[in-house]
Amino acid sequence: MSLDIIIQIIASGLTLGAMYAVSTVGLSLVWGSLGMLNMAHGGLMAFGGYAAYYAMNALGLPLLPALLAAILVGAVLGAIVYHGAVRLMLRQKAFETNVVIATVGLAFVLENAIQKLFGAQAQRQPLQVEGAIEVGNVVVPLQNIVILVTALLLMLIVALLLQKSRIGRAIRATAMNREAAQLMGVRVGQIYALVLMLAGSLAAVSGVMISSLTGLSPGVGADPMLKAFIICIVAGLGNVYGAVGSALALGLIEALSQFVLGVRFGFATLLLIVIVVLIWRPNGLFGRQQVTRL
Amino acid sequence: MSARGHLLIGLVVVLLAIALPFVFPINYVITQVTLLFVWGTVVTQWNLVYGVAGIFSLAQMALFAVGAYAAAMLAFYFGWSLWLAMPVAALITVVVSVLVGLACLRLRGPYVALLTLAIAQVLYLVIVNDTDCYTTEGSGCLPFFGGVRGLTRFGDMGFRDWLGQDWRLGHYFVALALLALALVFSAVIMRGPLGLAFRALRDNPGLARSRGISRFKYQIWVFALSAFFTGLAGAFYAANFKTIGPTVFSFSLLLFLIAMMTVGGIGTLWGPLLGALLLMGVDEGLREVQDWRDIGLGLLLVVFVILLPQGIVGALSRRDRGGG
Repeated sequence: MSLDIIIQIIASGLTLGAMYAVSTVGLSLVWGSLGMLNMAHGGLMAFGGYAAYYAMNALGLPLLPALLAAILVGAVLGAIVYHGAVRLMLRQKAFETNVVIATVGLAFVLENAIQKLFGAQAQRQPLQVEGAIEVGNVVVPLQNIVILVTALLLMLIVALLLQKSRIGRAIRATAMNREAAQLMGVRVGQIYALVLMLAGSLAAVSGVMISSLTGLSPGVGADPMLKAFIICIVAGLGNVYGAVGSALALGLIEALSQFVLGVRFGFATLLLIVIVVLIWRPNGLFGRQQVTRL
Repeated sequence: MSARGHLLIGLVVVLLAIALPFVFPINYVITQVTLLFVWGTVVTQWNLVYGVAGIFSLAQMALFAVGAYAAAMLAFYFGWSLWLAMPVAALITVVVSVLVGLACLRLRGPYVALLTLAIAQVLYLVIVNDTDCYTTEGSGCLPFFGGVRGLTRFGDMGFRDWLGQDWRLGHYFVALALLALALVFSAVIMRGPLGLAFRALRDNPGLARSRGISRFKYQIWVFALSAFFTGLAGAFYAANFKTIGPTVFSFSLLLFLIAMMTVGGIGTLWGPLLGALLLMGVDEGLREVQDWRDIGLGLLLVVFVILLPQGIVGALSRRDRGGG
């Protein structure tokens, strides 16, 4: 393997990993603080992608405002998911499984709403950065670098938010122990809404990023969501920082396996790995054993 | 409800079902109700795993597909009669289901959903992405599992030779017998010691285990038992349509069946069947406005899971017991 190929693999692997990280962090945050699998995450990604598309093509907005519009749409949808569904079922005994069913239903609604609004055929994502730079003999599109930098920036913002701000402390407290946080005066409901809005906007950004490489279609979020789940499982559901590392690792593995094995059975192999991981270590590779009192 | 009450409802349902094709001798009605019986069979068995044992498995449609593909492939590659291939396919499904159950053994709640979803997805990807020709006889290049186009030309159940024009009636009554057997089967399990153990492990795993109920043993049991009629229903589905393809893995079909259980009432005997009837009816009603069908289905699911998570039958029987 020559150096050029290695650079190529690293460049595309890091781009993939960065995109996965952005979508996975949202999913992981939601699991960590609410204890719910958000199956509508892929729908939120797709909606984010289409929001940017609509903002640029129909409204004629420039690049950055279009991205902001996508973020806004993601946040609004996150709020709708919370107030329209999750809030109403928090007290249910079978919350963990019922919320999966409810969000699966929402995902279906979102995907079909996109189909009605924008049509089922694939579109090109207009939110692109043209140009390329050369590293050695390898041409790396500027788009990839912008994605990587944006993702790192977003991760930094999320990390600062979680570690340094009052809200972040409240989110972490809620994730650790809902009742204790509530007793300390944290408004858990507001925190939940906030986490879902944050996750929604992160999903929207990653939707824009992914669709800028693969093109837009109503089901554009489906595969990335499955990958985000894979990453979450490997990292242990709810482990936010582990998720970022795992996402980058997965991106590199995917780029490498596409080069070595070809694309055909790449995804199936990935899923097989997850199945094995789940059987072997039920709490994920890096997840800690959860002790539940009976 | 007493055993006699359930028996009475069952008899009325079966009698109505027997009378239906003679009252409405319309081909379309007979075909659709046959399909209703198939989905009814699938959801009554899925209900054992999800409703009674409380294991949120999404692999049930994959098991259905295993049954369908197994029957089709046995008939296609070995020239077996479908009447022999169908029960063998059901047994194969039981074996696969036990493996899935073993894989899920240490997981709880949503992790089970993820694992079973991953298993279903792997099966789907293997079928769809395999484009190597396994055989080139007949219709040209055919991958081992039939690929995207699926398998056809594996014979049928022989009703066309026997009943001529009325072959649909043959399929109809086979499906009805399948559903009736599946219902009796799940009623016996739910009211017997196995059902008691499943429910105990669902409602209070700690207490159940401390009383000597083995989670390992009963989880394997529920996966094995619920798979037989699921696989048989899949095999019948393939035989009924004379074709089987990867569409049985589709997300919208999965959602459709989950909606049946949720709307009807998870964990109750009649709920899933009632849900199947209602959703097939709604589906029929929305056929005119096909675009809205999927959105309507998704919203219906959300509304029910929020407002009436125990489903129609669950809500009714709760009121029966005085708000219990």
